[in-house]
Amino acid sequence: MRLHDGRERRKKALLKAEHINCGYGGPPVVKDISFQVGEGESLCILGPNGCGKTTLLRGLSGILPIKGEVSVQGKDLKGMSARQRGRKIALMSQLAETYFSYTVYETVMLGRYVHQQRGLFAGRSPEDERMVEESLQKVGMLPQADRLITELSGGQLQRVYLARTFAQDPQVILLDEPTNHLDLKYQVELVESLKEWVGQGDRCLVGVFHDINLALSFADQVLLMEDGRTAALEEAENLDLALLNRIYGLDVKAYMKDSLKRWE
Amino acid sequence: MFLLIMAALAAMILGIGLGSVSVSPGEILEVLWEEIIPGGQAQEKAASREDAGVQAGAATQTDEAAKTNAVSRVDDVTRTLVMNIRLPRVLLAFLVGAAMSVCGVVMQSVLKNPLASSYGLGVSAGAGLGAALVIVTGAASGLLGAFLLPAVSFGFGLITVVLVLGIASRIDRGLSNVTIVLIGMVLSLFFTAVMNLLATISPTYSQRINLWLLGSFSMKDWSSVGILAVVLVLCLAVFAGFAREMDIMTFGEEQALGMGVDLKRCKWILIGTVAVLTGTAVAFAGIIGFVDLVAPHVVRRFFGSSHRKVLPASALFGGAFMVLCDLAARTLASPREIPIGSITALLGAPFFLYIYFGKGKHAGKAKKASKNADR
Repeated sequence: MRLHDGRERRKKALLKAEHINCGYGGPPVVKDISFQVGEGESLCILGPNGCGKTTLLRGLSGILPIKGEVSVQGKDLKGMSARQRGRKIALMSQLAETYFSYTVYETVMLGRYVHQQRGLFAGRSPEDERMVEESLQKVGMLPQADRLITELSGGQLQRVYLARTFAQDPQVILLDEPTNHLDLKYQVELVESLKEWVGQGDRCLVGVFHDINLALSFADQVLLMEDGRTAALEEAENLDLALLNRIYGLDVKAYMKDSLKRWE
Repeated sequence: MFLLIMAALAAMILGIGLGSVSVSPGEILEVLWEEIIPGGQAQEKAASREDAGVQAGAATQTDEAAKTNAVSRVDDVTRTLVMNIRLPRVLLAFLVGAAMSVCGVVMQSVLKNPLASSYGLGVSAGAGLGAALVIVTGAASGLLGAFLLPAVSFGFGLITVVLVLGIASRIDRGLSNVTIVLIGMVLSLFFTAVMNLLATISPTYSQRINLWLLGSFSMKDWSSVGILAVVLVLCLAVFAGFAREMDIMTFGEEQALGMGVDLKRCKWILIGTVAVLTGTAVAFAGIIGFVDLVAPHVVRRFFGSSHRKVLPASALFGGAFMVLCDLAARTLASPREIPIGSITALLGAPFFLYIYFGKGKHAGKAKKASKNADR
């Protein structure tokens, strides 16, 4: 699955971001970031708090206005309607609690919105139902389909939102720290289900992860950010440890060794 | 849902029947039945009813009226009471209650805020200011005033919402919820202050302004019922068309955008429609609070949050609740009438607490929600 040859990747590029600048009205938070992600590939964004990772994801998904260009399969996202964009690219944002009591099934069905007709008499198709059940199955929440999301734990809710993102059936999934709130076991399972998803057809993933280990075990490419700029864009295995240490302000390898010692 | 429809009908029959003169449900149904069926017999009765209406005060019946009595058992005083006073009043109360509740549902979803209501947008404050202006300038008296008062207050309510949204989108192009709520709050308080100022400097009118503000369903005719019914049906159709978008919007703006909802367009359309509906309701009945806040919560307790169910159920529940509140308003301290605005809160608050913390399919969530908010 991995494409070690840079040139080969460029040929099959599915998601292209060119000279992205974006922010919240003031000076840009994300400054001139470019990358490409090929079919079946995953890109992981790393960087310390406040370096602009989430802002970049928001810019890519069209939530924030950007300078620069984002395209999926050569098609610029800028000219698209919200619905068209929603069929290409989905953002799974950081966990947000909700007060409103939908069932798990209803929540995941909302992911089908971009594929359904709009308006008064829009109904759900058998295809919608199949996708919802399949997505729930993938995250292991099918047995809980009738529960209310307000009764779920944070980790369960996170998995429901992931299922909803799967049900949206986009070509690109953007993930903002999807493993927050998850037990170790579910972190691993989530990464596995993401890998499986991205392996099917013309899809790709861009994710922000807190856990460097998890990120590197999962990603083909790593985008390391510092103060809104690209510090490094590398194959995951080529990532420069010295650079990582400098940007995080910590001897990353030593820290991980220390935490491993506990079990020896 | 079926139960709710039956309850709403029962509330309406109760609302028509009880009062200074009681009418039995059987009589009500009979009157309605005869009024609905057209034909020569009904016309004949209509003619005789006019006569009876003239002499109703004296409580004497003409021969003609007596003849009608023989035919239908229900005397014409009762008939006039039901058709010209009780029925329009009950229908208006139902429509206003339904309109307010539905607006509450929409605002709570659009602003992702369980505390939101259409009043937070400044509709009521604007409408109140408009009404106060009409009353203070003395234009409210006379035939023209009867039309001018609702028209101006409706216009002012709408202008306020446009102002709120205009300023909010000027400050923040994404039109985010916090900005809308904040600007709505600021403008509401400002307009309320201007209105209070008006009331203070013209003490002769201040009582009238206050009475209008507290709301009432008295002295309303069929035309207001008709207008409100048409507006309500149209607005409900718009809301129903956006039911799924509203579902998605309760998950917050970022998720809605990520799921392919054209958020800005939805917000403009939905809030605009809410403004029209609230404006119409307020123009006819004054400012009646509480129903719009509470009805959606009560309904979600039993039907879940999906707007396909919450919208119609809220309309039914809010309408029935308003009919009962109006009934209480005119019977509890009879012959005086308690302002309906204070009744809704007076009856509503304990009822709400009972429902909310009591048993139900979705009970116990309030506690969880507040726990989550703490995190």
